[in-house]
Amino acid sequence: MSAPNDRLELFVALSAALTGVKAFRLRGTGQAEAYLAAVEAIVPWPIIDDLFSQFAALPAGDALEPALESGILADPRLGAVARNLILLWYRGAWSQLPPAWRASFGSSAGDTNHVISSAAYQAGLQWEIAGAHPVGARQQGYGSWALLPAGEDTP
Amino acid sequence: MSEAAEFDVVIVGAGVAGALAAGQFAKSGLKVLVLEAGPDTTRDLASYNAHLETFYTASSKGAETPWPPAEGAPQPDGADLFKQEGYFVQRGPHLYGSTYTRTFGGSTLHWLGVSLRMLPEDFELRARHGVGRDWPIGYAALAPWYDRAEHAIGVSADVEEQRYHGLTFTAGYDYPMRRIPPSYSDRVLGAAVNSLEVDLGEERVAVRVRSYPAARNSIPRGDYQPIGALDIGSDGQERSTYIGERCEGNTACTPICPVQAKYNANKTFARADRRHLTLRSQAVASQILFDGVTGAVSGISYKRYDDPRSTSFNEEVATGRVYILAAHAVENAKLLLASGPQSGEGQVGRGLMDHPALYAWGLAPFNVGAFRGPQSSSGIEDFRAGGFRARHAAFRFDIGNDGWRAATGAPDATVIDAVTNQKLFGRQLRTQLADQLSRQVRMSLAVEQLPDPDNRVTIDPAYRDKFGNPRPVIDYRIADYTFEGMAAARKVAARIFRQAGIKDCSRSTAELRFPTAIYDGEEVHYHGMGHFAGTHAMGSDRSNSVVDEFQRSWDHPNLFLLGSGSFATMGTSNPTLTLAALALRTADHIIAKLHDGG
Repeated sequence: MSAPNDRLELFVALSAALTGVKAFRLRGTGQAEAYLAAVEAIVPWPIIDDLFSQFAALPAGDALEPALESGILADPRLGAVARNLILLWYRGAWSQLPPAWRASFGSSAGDTNHVISSAAYQAGLQWEIAGAHPVGARQQGYGSWALLPAGEDTP
Repeated sequence: MSEAAEFDVVIVGAGVAGALAAGQFAKSGLKVLVLEAGPDTTRDLASYNAHLETFYTASSKGAETPWPPAEGAPQPDGADLFKQEGYFVQRGPHLYGSTYTRTFGGSTLHWLGVSLRMLPEDFELRARHGVGRDWPIGYAALAPWYDRAEHAIGVSADVEEQRYHGLTFTAGYDYPMRRIPPSYSDRVLGAAVNSLEVDLGEERVAVRVRSYPAARNSIPRGDYQPIGALDIGSDGQERSTYIGERCEGNTACTPICPVQAKYNANKTFARADRRHLTLRSQAVASQILFDGVTGAVSGISYKRYDDPRSTSFNEEVATGRVYILAAHAVENAKLLLASGPQSGEGQVGRGLMDHPALYAWGLAPFNVGAFRGPQSSSGIEDFRAGGFRARHAAFRFDIGNDGWRAATGAPDATVIDAVTNQKLFGRQLRTQLADQLSRQVRMSLAVEQLPDPDNRVTIDPAYRDKFGNPRPVIDYRIADYTFEGMAAARKVAARIFRQAGIKDCSRSTAELRFPTAIYDGEEVHYHGMGHFAGTHAMGSDRSNSVVDEFQRSWDHPNLFLLGSGSFATMGTSNPTLTLAALALRTADHIIAKLHDGG
């Protein structure tokens, strides 16, 4: 892949590979900067740097996902952080890293279960992926729920 | 009664019962004071929306999440159930799983909005089925008040769909708004199961997915005007919002309707005649004062605070000719018990009920459009009546539109399971989540509970809140009658899932989020429905009840206790509509008496 040198671009490219959702849709949530800032505030920088550089070295195309699994997700130090990035994008919330990871690689004060922001909650990928809307926001309008679900075009 | 009374009527509690009664009094020209324990932060739009922000940013989203209590007016919270450090002191053997809200508007701020009438046979459970007890009034006496309550709170339904189990309606009557459109998933489930017949003991019951009456705004009939979001300024004037005159499908009735298309008690206050109505928030009633000779109430002592985050207060006394406790089934009982031993021959607080409920959840064979619409829009009402009630509890199903959210915490829980346990990522993760989330189906199986004198609210000087008021001590046990109803409900739910081709996932996950009981050697995971009832039941005479059919205390002639605490039994309907009808009936009774000079 062409090497994205900008840190945010690299973060979004990594996130796209991890979430299975294309980079332009991730950018469209408006949350990329906030999520990168959250990760940088919680996870030690050397770990983030290693995560990014490992990812930048992975092959592109169909080989990317297998390489991501063996090179990053299976890694005891990077894997838990990568999985947390997936949860972050789908939920708009940070999940505390697993106890074993915290014991081995350190814990920071910010590593608690928390919603990044009200906008992040609403931008969680889980709602759109479900063909729905965030609970309590972006309502679809009176009676919309009686219609065929999105993507189900035939009666 | 007191010569120098400041008000005609003093009401404790700015929830639905207090609001409806206050509105009637003000309309008839009586001077009313309403004391509300919680802060007044729900009637102007900016403050209401701040509660919505609290919900969005909360990491755990329970029924009370948007409505944090003041220091001096604590409330139960689902998160406290397993910590034994909440507001309730739970003595078991089973946990009482329900919560309520102490703020302006009360628990209508987070209720689901289901507005079913009780069935005629629910009022005569002892006479018809030999269990429970009978009410001193029947369905026919209450029916006109149901009509009025449905218009007062704004209920959407089509009357022709609601005639079942002996429910009758006034000739020509219909609900003020058309039914909420059933969801796509309601329709596909109905298409699959509406031909199904299920055997329950010796009875054969035909299943039907039916739209239930809901206090959520829909298309009005006649000249009815739906009331949407409130925005009441500090000058008391209401500003137009043009929001919430229809349900917009936020899938968040509980814990907070973002557009206020769902009824909350503040709407009733907003329509009341303000010339005769005084609303006093941050005023925690702490003691009822009695005349030692007549037993009549001479005043209500309350603790007024300026800062909801502070534990300091001033004590004041409110006086009236008539006093009404409309503070909630638990709070009414607590306040009476805290005021001395002179009430109710030991019956106050006894007979506490709920609808202990199970969840059934599964995966539909195709996309049903989960997580859209109001939280639910249909139910299965066919098991609310029948000869089986002599042996076990009746039950009703609520069919969710919100995937497995209530049962497992989906979609978050589904995502976490896929990522953390199944180790999915990338395109496979996205594909599986899209497939599974849209197919999630959930039903709540709410089961009747009979009044048991040992299920009760008491107080104990050892347990006090930060204002020194007593905390409710709860004794609660689910009886075999209800457990057997649960077992029958579970079988029916499984049969319905099978008929609809829904893969039953009910036992596989997340059960530890709920209270556990053991019945017949098996663990039962149940949850509360928020349907507190029975703590000051009505009856035909003082030997079997705390209040009469007008909710008047047998012991204190100018004291009325409003709310589901007055229910003799509770059937299977959600209690709000019935307690609203009773509140209107009581208000008219009091108005007639006061205008009589009584």
